[in-house]
Amino acid sequence: MKTNNVYLQDISRGIIQENPVFRLVLGMCPVLAVTTFLVNGIGMGIAATVVLIASNVVIASIRNFIPDKVRIPCFIVVIATFVTMIDMTLHAFQPVLYEALGVFVPLIVVNCIILGRAEAFASKKPVLRSLFDGVGIGVGFTIALGILSLVREVIGQGTLFGPDPDSAIRLFGANYEPMLLFAQPAGAFFALGFLLAATNIIFKRFKIE
Amino acid sequence: MRDMLRLSLVMAVIGIISAASLSGAYNLTAPIIAERQEREYRQALEGFFPAVAEYETQRIEDDYFDLIYDSNNNLLGFMAVVQQQGYGGLITFNLAADAEGSVIGIRVISHTETPGVGDVITTQPFLEQFHGKSYADRIEAGVDIDTVSSATVSTSAMIAAVHRAVNVIAENFLGMAEEALDITAVLDGVYQGSASGTMGDLVVEVEVLTGKIVRIDVLQQYETPTFFVETYPLIPNRIIEEQRLDIDTRTGATLSAERLINAIRDALTKPPVVN
Repeated sequence: MKTNNVYLQDISRGIIQENPVFRLVLGMCPVLAVTTFLVNGIGMGIAATVVLIASNVVIASIRNFIPDKVRIPCFIVVIATFVTMIDMTLHAFQPVLYEALGVFVPLIVVNCIILGRAEAFASKKPVLRSLFDGVGIGVGFTIALGILSLVREVIGQGTLFGPDPDSAIRLFGANYEPMLLFAQPAGAFFALGFLLAATNIIFKRFKIE
Repeated sequence: MRDMLRLSLVMAVIGIISAASLSGAYNLTAPIIAERQEREYRQALEGFFPAVAEYETQRIEDDYFDLIYDSNNNLLGFMAVVQQQGYGGLITFNLAADAEGSVIGIRVISHTETPGVGDVITTQPFLEQFHGKSYADRIEAGVDIDTVSSATVSTSAMIAAVHRAVNVIAENFLGMAEEALDITAVLDGVYQGSASGTMGDLVVEVEVLTGKIVRIDVLQQYETPTFFVETYPLIPNRIIEEQRLDIDTRTGATLSAERLINAIRDALTKPPVVN
């Protein structure tokens, strides 16, 4: 993707060249923990994306006002505010997802992707570029979580769109005995390892830098 | 000095803005959350008790019990919110029982059991085993409820919790105290009884002489050794000393102690093996 538009570059960099999960290997804790079902993975990705975009925009707009010495506490307060809002919103409108994500929603506060973008990008760049950077990194994070949870759900549970039995599609019929390892924490490491290897091969093959 | 003032001022401003927006968001979402939880609970209640009109909540030990009444103020049954330590964390579930104390339904609200293994506790085939059980049943793993192999801890935890809830309902709302055994009415002789444990039966021999328990021997036991030393010979000695079975079982190994007492009770309610 060669383009001179700086905003498009910000977005594509977050999704491809600097994908937080597959290239930077950041924020692994929620990545490994919540990706048991596709719905949970995407839900976590969207929650983190909303926080990331909001905190990037706010931090970029107050970046000249924040003294350098206290920037980290200020960033954390901004991020924590948005995370708590997302937490309450999920609790009110998406109770099932809220239950499934559990402690990992409040833990978005200490997700190093979000603080990392605030420190490395939003605190130095203009508001609009920070917004697009947030969108790019957030979408990249969501896609990565989606792929990982898709693999884990299909192999580890044999379903799609679970765990809610009303929406779950049993891919291999009712008698399929799923490979439970992939639904468990150890399986998350295996699945992530294979996916990292696969992305490395693809990146080498197509010489993406 | 001026710098320090400026830094704290900036942080204070950010903190105040953050607090203000959070309390705004809280005020917006809190009523929605409360209303939704109320509605969900109401729906669950109506699923079990279609005629529900009112309910009254009581807290007993760690669990909450709702007494359900219809519009004529007749008692329809009970709904308990029970918490139990499972394999991966707390299991919270609703247990509905009719006015006679028999289980009519169980709904797991939240749990953190292993996906694909321990979450069998939320499935109907497992939960339906409890339907119709009451304090008159033993509700024990392997006796009248089956555990699920490979998920023994999760399923045993559920069974223990249901057992506890059903007994609390019977004792507190239905006036069913565990029948006190009158030892003076037991004929002289040697009695044997058993209680099933997790690893195997606990078998005891009890000798009664002129209306008094004079000897309690354990013939067979598969208890965890470190727990069993806490209860034996302490519990038999206490029983012989006080000549009653409803003694204090807080020994650090309550389950073993209760199993021992159950076996002794079982022995004394059977015909003697030696007159």
